[in-house]
Amino acid sequence: MSTCLHRSSRWPALLLALFLGALPLVAPPAPMLARAAAIQAAAPAGAAGGTLAPRAEKSVRFAVIGDSGTGDKPQYQVGERLAESRSVFPFEFVLMLGDNIYGGERPEDFEKKFERPYKALLDLKIPFYASLGNHDDPNQRFYKPFNMDGKRFYTFEKDDVRFFALDSNYMDQAQVEWVEKELSASKNTWKIAYFHHPLYSSGARHGSEVDLRELLEPLFLKYGVSVVFSGHEHFYERLKPQNGITYITNGGAAKLREGNIRVGSEMTAKGFDTDRSYMLVEIDDKTMHFQALSRTGELVDSGSVEAVKAPPRPPSDGAVR
Amino acid sequence: MTRFVLILALSLLPVAMPAGMALAASQEQPANPIGTAVLGFKDRVAEYIKLHKEAASKVPKVTKTSDATDMQSREAALAATIKQLRPHAKELDVFGTDFRAVLAREVRRDFLGRSAADRQAVMQEQPLKMRLSVNMTYPTDKPLKTFPAQLLQKLPELPPELEYRIVGHHIVLRDVTANLVVDVARDIVPKIAG
Repeated sequence: MSTCLHRSSRWPALLLALFLGALPLVAPPAPMLARAAAIQAAAPAGAAGGTLAPRAEKSVRFAVIGDSGTGDKPQYQVGERLAESRSVFPFEFVLMLGDNIYGGERPEDFEKKFERPYKALLDLKIPFYASLGNHDDPNQRFYKPFNMDGKRFYTFEKDDVRFFALDSNYMDQAQVEWVEKELSASKNTWKIAYFHHPLYSSGARHGSEVDLRELLEPLFLKYGVSVVFSGHEHFYERLKPQNGITYITNGGAAKLREGNIRVGSEMTAKGFDTDRSYMLVEIDDKTMHFQALSRTGELVDSGSVEAVKAPPRPPSDGAVR
Repeated sequence: MTRFVLILALSLLPVAMPAGMALAASQEQPANPIGTAVLGFKDRVAEYIKLHKEAASKVPKVTKTSDATDMQSREAALAATIKQLRPHAKELDVFGTDFRAVLAREVRRDFLGRSAADRQAVMQEQPLKMRLSVNMTYPTDKPLKTFPAQLLQKLPELPPELEYRIVGHHIVLRDVTANLVVDVARDIVPKIAG
């Protein structure tokens, strides 16, 4: 199992170099062709060069960042990579997984920890949709650039994808009822939930949020949530599907907890905990293509996920069966 | 059918019973102390919300803004007005001593049902040395530790203006929009060894 692509030994990097060297000898798979074409077409050399181009002409495309609001150099570097990636992968909006503003939340903090690092994207009017982390004042919901519409938890739709931004800091009865109501009302092929605390995690520091999982996962299963994004853990981890749901932790857009993914965790499908990271996601009909990139623009993980089918609902004609 | 008639008859009993008889019956049964404590707490919460709304009506309204200065000044103005309206507020004014006991028992019961790792997780990143007082602004540089979701389901639900928070071993009632500590119930979260 590979919990980390570039961790303790140089051998994986050497093997990768050898493999890449041998590439012209074998037929490159389609994504690689797309990537090569995209790099030739648009990507600036040495920047976010690992970015894969989108597969479809018309698809829902977005970026995902988590635990981003430090205002320090790595956040700015990830911000630059994001903007560079966009020239290859023109995403339309950004999901924020919480801890949007660490430390003080004075007006100058919003500028230093959000407006300046993502200026290039904000200038292009790329909307950000934030969720709240444990370092965020819930009053961030009134901050217009976070598009929370004054709510701690909310939902929005892009084509056939419905997003559910939850407040995992405070999962009270009112929110649980709201989640169920909104999930049950959604007829979308894709239901994607995102919030700060991961329901499954191999992080040595925090680990899985079991309490929250017991409340939310039954609803996700009942109403057919396909993918869940979380932050809180300062690394990237894609988990092996849990009960058919793809869980991805992506909390390293500024902070890093180096080497924190438990080695040998059976839950990990792919992990990256040696540098900061961000994600790019494309939804094309019933397939979601994802890629995770590092602060240096290197491709860390990529793959695709199919939408889950919601289990059949009980008939609502009032008949007792 | 007979069962249905019986249920119906029982459900109509309080209506059919003469007022005097109902009173006598209620006098015979002592009030449930937990229920009384919870009801008292809810009443005090409702009182606070009345005060919060009065304060909110006196400061500029902010719904959405691109300017973080607006958010901050509104939050500060609301907090200042609430403080003016309850200058003598002290600990347990809202929680109440009787509900504090209920809260302590519920939290203890919840903690005893958790694994050592889980208990540790709840206490992780807690601002253990943070000084707390009623009417203080919750420092924005301190994390708002996640409230354990299962425990939250067992506590009386609060209106959206208020929330419970664990700070160290204490439980705080926090005004969300004013970012204000409304009340503190000390030493509620048990110090259970690993």
